[in-house]
Amino acid sequence: MGPNRNISILLTVPALVVVALLFIYPLGFSLVGAFQDKAGAWTLGNFGRAWDLYRLDTAFTVVIVLVSCALIAFFSVAIGGYLTLGESRVAKAILNFVYRWPLFIPFIVAAQCMRTFIARNGMMNMTLVYFGILDLDQVQGFLDWRGIVFTFVWKQTPFVALMVAGAMAGLDRATIEAARNLGASRLRILVEIVVPQVSRTLAVGLVLSFVTMMSVLSVPLMLSGQSPSMLTVNMAWRINSVGDYGTANALGFVSYLMTGFAAWFYLRHGMRERAGR
Amino acid sequence: MSARLEIDRIETSYGATRVLKGVSLDVAPGEFVALLGSSGCGKTTLLRTIAGFLSADAGEIRVGGRDISGEPPDRRGMAMVFQSYALWPHMTVAQNVGYGLRLKKWDRARIDARVNEILAMLKLDGFGHRNVTQLSGGQRQRVALGRALAVEPQVLLLDEPLSNLDARIREDVRHEIKALQKSLGITAIHVTHDREEAMVMADRIVILDAGQIAQVGPPETIYNAPNSPFVAAFMGATNVVRIEAERSGEAIVVAPGAGNRPARLARPGPQGFARGKLVAHFRSEAAELADAGADFADSLMLPGRIVQAAYPGGVWRYSVAVGESQFLVDAPEKRALGDAVAVRVPADALHLYQAGAS
Repeated sequence: MGPNRNISILLTVPALVVVALLFIYPLGFSLVGAFQDKAGAWTLGNFGRAWDLYRLDTAFTVVIVLVSCALIAFFSVAIGGYLTLGESRVAKAILNFVYRWPLFIPFIVAAQCMRTFIARNGMMNMTLVYFGILDLDQVQGFLDWRGIVFTFVWKQTPFVALMVAGAMAGLDRATIEAARNLGASRLRILVEIVVPQVSRTLAVGLVLSFVTMMSVLSVPLMLSGQSPSMLTVNMAWRINSVGDYGTANALGFVSYLMTGFAAWFYLRHGMRERAGR
Repeated sequence: MSARLEIDRIETSYGATRVLKGVSLDVAPGEFVALLGSSGCGKTTLLRTIAGFLSADAGEIRVGGRDISGEPPDRRGMAMVFQSYALWPHMTVAQNVGYGLRLKKWDRARIDARVNEILAMLKLDGFGHRNVTQLSGGQRQRVALGRALAVEPQVLLLDEPLSNLDARIREDVRHEIKALQKSLGITAIHVTHDREEAMVMADRIVILDAGQIAQVGPPETIYNAPNSPFVAAFMGATNVVRIEAERSGEAIVVAPGAGNRPARLARPGPQGFARGKLVAHFRSEAAELADAGADFADSLMLPGRIVQAAYPGGVWRYSVAVGESQFLVDAPEKRALGDAVAVRVPADALHLYQAGAS
């Protein structure tokens, strides 16, 4: 038992070192840096500057990420629901094959593709014009907050849908059939029977997506040049153009609080649910 | 509330495999019918086809004269009780029971009243606010039953509802379901692989074999007059002896064989039988053990040796080797292993079939 245990500890060391060096150390460094001025003295000035300059961007970031989360929840439940309750085998097979593709595309590639897809003269508008759905002088670009939301939803839905569809597939089919048998339509079964039973999985997927979207730089940077922008863009700007690590760290601290709040909210909800059983 | 259920030449397949091969059954209003058979015989497939979870390739299902074969499960006026209970874990007992009524757009007060009535009927008073995950197996199955009964279905479908319960509770719930079904006068179809359960609960038993009905009848008919070797074996007459016989008036004369002594049995044998090979089935409890040399009139005597003994309770159960075969026989007295004995099967305990009839 003894030597085995030592070996197990030894095996975890590389992972722990990587986490400590690449994650915990910079995180701690950045947290401390948020409360220090350039000379190293303790101050709340960084937060004051962050509030003055970026409070609109902070709200903008929250709204974008929450709107994206709502849409991701909607689409992933729709996809998982169709895969679980749909009756056309062919449609289910096609959907099952297609929906995961965006998972394998990095954010930066997705952002680049979106630039050409949703721009004013992009592929989406030109296709709609070609088919006569839009008039050429009606077209507008989506390279603003809508483009960011569009890309986030496109990129993160498969991830959440994968988790949700897996959880739905793991449900006792009889719980679905029992509702069907009593006269529930498929939409009602989805909303009242299936989703409540997979809500924990959905919540985990959304919290992970929330954190992921909070941390993406390429998408807001490439899709929306104008103000307001997302906090990652502001942080990159403070560091690369101004060399102002203090404010960047303060903004980092704010996004850390936001993701922390999302995680806390999820955990509290989970605990309450478990206590209720 | 209860309705006649007519199943007319139903055929159902899973992919390329035809599971039901033209099943017809007429269930009277208020009748309790058990579908009995071994695994893979098609009993659950038949139930799921009736419920509408599987679509039939051919045939018709009518409820109260109305053809429902093309209707989705939610429009068939049936309620099913599942083996796994299939309760919704995110709802309370009352919400589970009242869900079907909510779907029918009843108002809240009416739903509450009905749910309370159902819970009282199922001896679940005061459980309405409990979460279903806090209930025992027997209580859960009662909630599942309550959920099905709340909507007053025309036909109640029971898919092995008792097989997840432990033996003692199973007997209680068995009687509860039967009593409720009788008092409500509801038409019920019950799938089970448990012979005793079917015997105790059903007005009529349907024995299914390889997607076809092997026999339909009241429990005592199925038990006492199984119409084929399959049904006989399924209903517990698992001892099989092959004999050579000839008809003589209203009796049959059995020639001495590898295992049996000559005998004269005062019964005519299978219909149309004159002479030839017969397959005789009998139950362990219908036979007796006699001393090796004893001879009894109107009985088939099978001389052999005791090779195994067990005491399942009440009587001893012996395994007797007769020639190449072994028979199980119950006897009240204790005997030693290796004892020479004769198995005595009275003529009326034998189920006789022409060889090759199965």
